[in-house]
Amino acid sequence: MPSKEILLQMKRIVKRFPGVVANDRVDFELRAGEVHGLLGENGAGKTTLMNVLYGILRPDEGEIYIRGKKVEIGSPREAIKLGIGMVHQNFKLVEPHTVIENILLGLKEPAFMLDVKESANKVLEISKRYELPIDPKARIWQLSMGERQRVEILKALYRGANILVLDEPTSVLTPPETRELFRFIAQMAGEGRSVVFITHKLDEVIAISDRVTVLRAGRNVDTLHREQLDKTRLASMMVGREVLFTLRKSAVTVGEPVLEMKHVTVMGDRDFPAIKDLTFTIRRGQILGVAGIAGNGQRELTEAITGMRPIASGEVRLCGKEIGRDSISHRIEEGIAYVPEDRVGVAAPQGLTVAQDLVLRRYREKPFSNGVFLNQDEIERNAENLIKEFNIMVSGKDAPARTLSGGNLQKLILARELSGEPELIVAAYPTRGLDVGATEYVRSLLLKQREAGSAVLMVSEDLDEILSLSDIIAVMYGGEIVGTVPAAEANVEEIGLMMGGSLRKP
Amino acid sequence: MRFPRLAFEKRLTISRGLTITVPIASLVLGFLSAAPLFFAVGVNPILAYQQVLGVFTSTDGLTESLTRGIPLLLASVGLCLPFKMNFWNIGAEGQLFMGAFAATAIVFLLPDSPAFVLVGSMMIAGFIFGGLWGLIPGYLKARLEVNEVLTTLMLNSVAILWVDYVVYGPWRDPEGFGFPLTPMFPLNARLPWIPGTRIHAGLLIGLICAVIVYIFLARSKWGYELKVTGESRLAAKYAGIDYLRLTLLVMLISGGLAGLAGMGLVSGIVLRLRHGISPGYGYSAIIIAWLARLNPLAAVPVSILFGGLLVAGDALQIGLGLAFATALVFQALILLFVVGAEVLTRYKLILTWG
Repeated sequence: MPSKEILLQMKRIVKRFPGVVANDRVDFELRAGEVHGLLGENGAGKTTLMNVLYGILRPDEGEIYIRGKKVEIGSPREAIKLGIGMVHQNFKLVEPHTVIENILLGLKEPAFMLDVKESANKVLEISKRYELPIDPKARIWQLSMGERQRVEILKALYRGANILVLDEPTSVLTPPETRELFRFIAQMAGEGRSVVFITHKLDEVIAISDRVTVLRAGRNVDTLHREQLDKTRLASMMVGREVLFTLRKSAVTVGEPVLEMKHVTVMGDRDFPAIKDLTFTIRRGQILGVAGIAGNGQRELTEAITGMRPIASGEVRLCGKEIGRDSISHRIEEGIAYVPEDRVGVAAPQGLTVAQDLVLRRYREKPFSNGVFLNQDEIERNAENLIKEFNIMVSGKDAPARTLSGGNLQKLILARELSGEPELIVAAYPTRGLDVGATEYVRSLLLKQREAGSAVLMVSEDLDEILSLSDIIAVMYGGEIVGTVPAAEANVEEIGLMMGGSLRKP
Repeated sequence: MRFPRLAFEKRLTISRGLTITVPIASLVLGFLSAAPLFFAVGVNPILAYQQVLGVFTSTDGLTESLTRGIPLLLASVGLCLPFKMNFWNIGAEGQLFMGAFAATAIVFLLPDSPAFVLVGSMMIAGFIFGGLWGLIPGYLKARLEVNEVLTTLMLNSVAILWVDYVVYGPWRDPEGFGFPLTPMFPLNARLPWIPGTRIHAGLLIGLICAVIVYIFLARSKWGYELKVTGESRLAAKYAGIDYLRLTLLVMLISGGLAGLAGMGLVSGIVLRLRHGISPGYGYSAIIIAWLARLNPLAAVPVSILFGGLLVAGDALQIGLGLAFATALVFQALILLFVVGAEVLTRYKLILTWG
């Protein structure tokens, strides 16, 4: 391995933001044909370092060498010219446009979007070679997150990326999709290209990396070779202390049904049923974990229960009462808490203050409102209490929500949703993108709520999470539940087969 | 090769000092930039500045600024609401015309009623018609996702042409020498006014509305809903906010206040409906609402200053014999500087080499 050519060197990179040093003399080295894991907690400076490489940010100090030649990368365009491609965590795609339009966007050729056929063929060629199937004419908004990532990867490959930076790529993927991605990464490396894999997931980084560089608080901790990789060691390097990996789950007596879905059919965005004739029940004290590859109806399921999407037919019962056609606000009143997938755009609007976001779905209730006016004192008291109770790290209750880190934002959302003493909690990807500490905390909150007698429906792409939190595991495929297994009897292989659609177990 | 590059960086907090010094500095720069214009048309800029400043130092100038500020105030206060929820109501002008039309219709219907009944009915009719004119684009947007910029803008033309139709046609004053205007209103159709000036009760109504809308925005649950919706429509949906109901409520009030502005014009100033009753107050109100940062209380001084700018344009034409177009260019320069500099209160300008 060390015999291979050094493709990229970043030396003593410093990047300051107002009030923080995001990168403090960070060194990074990448060899040809290498998969290099970049590991660290949220805010450790991984993305900043790669944004410097990709020309989005300018380093305040430090040097970058490609194949031994010093380079100045002033913009992503220059980075692309140097053979660097980056797939961001939040995709930079134009949603109303098609796949091919997005891939060609920003390129000089073709000058006018008139004849995209030739380019589409080239894209299809790349997609075939790397086994990344895509429909070039599909519009981005119709695609699942996994498919969107594929578009971003194809975009980078189309531009001739020799160094591919993937920022938290698996955070939007399911286990089979992750395996696919890993296969692709291996293929890239086999061709002598290099991949930088940004993550905070230890298992993944160990599974795939030739080397791993760990960052903490903007500084290098160390770079380890493949044979040195060990989960406990990496975790403590990353966090700076010992980390426990097991959750304590107590026995809870299961009560009466809280959520009953009966023959529910829901239409998707593409005007065909995204959920077909779905029937299941969740009882008090139960966590139902929904496993499945993204885009198999999970989103539509959570939206149908919470009222964000109308149901075409069937019944949704909450504590025995039919609510399938009720307004969202009525369902909130009836005790449905909802932790949606999109935190920034949906669950916690960034321009509101922390105090305002903490009453987002509860502002109509007493004592926050008397029907006409809002009671500012109560809203502020509520914020103070929740910030303390849920240990939300924030400069104050009047700070804009945009100043919160991902983990704290999720704490804020959970604090609000759980404080209403909900009957049912619908949680979509509750720990996606969170660091080790925040993940631990969020999971413990869901377990606590289960003990308090709520019913929980949790959608997650993290099979470990599903296995360790759920009482029942429901696997979705093609808008149907293809199997329901008690967590105690769950078999990972079997679940994987069901997720892929090759096994049914009623 | 290194080139200087200008970059904007968002200020983390907006200081109070800047919100005062930036507009004043931009005013001064705007005045200076107009000097070549005055030179070009053969007028000593100093004399021109004296004319303009005279507007703000003489009683006549001030009362007239207040008068011109009334429709601007009512319409801009109304616009604060939809803009807060990212609903781009460009239709205050049309809503104003519909309000003026409805108020006039009441005069035709109840010419002999006592003043308070007649004026009261005119106000209600003006509000309702302006509001209904706002509800149409509101409904189309909320139900069918029809772009409100297009609908509100196009409905302006419809309203303005509709008023033209009635003043050229059925309502034309038979004794008006063929001019496109209705007969003069009876005295009982006139809003109370301050004798010796053209300031009418619309000013008081405007001030009250500004306060009410301010409280509505800052304290009521609908104000919160507006803020959330302005942040993100999906977030609003998630919060259980009924977008259709909120949009209709907001556009009823917004259009209604513009309609009141139109009612004030016919009942307080012109005392009849005529072609071109508003020279574009509904459009100016858009600028005012933004300069006031969608704060209805801030819209009060901004409207009056804006009214003063309109009066200054008149003063330049009358006092120095400047052409109408020259006065317009002067007003535009001032606005350009004030609106353009506004961004500096929120962003830092940074010069970098690279």
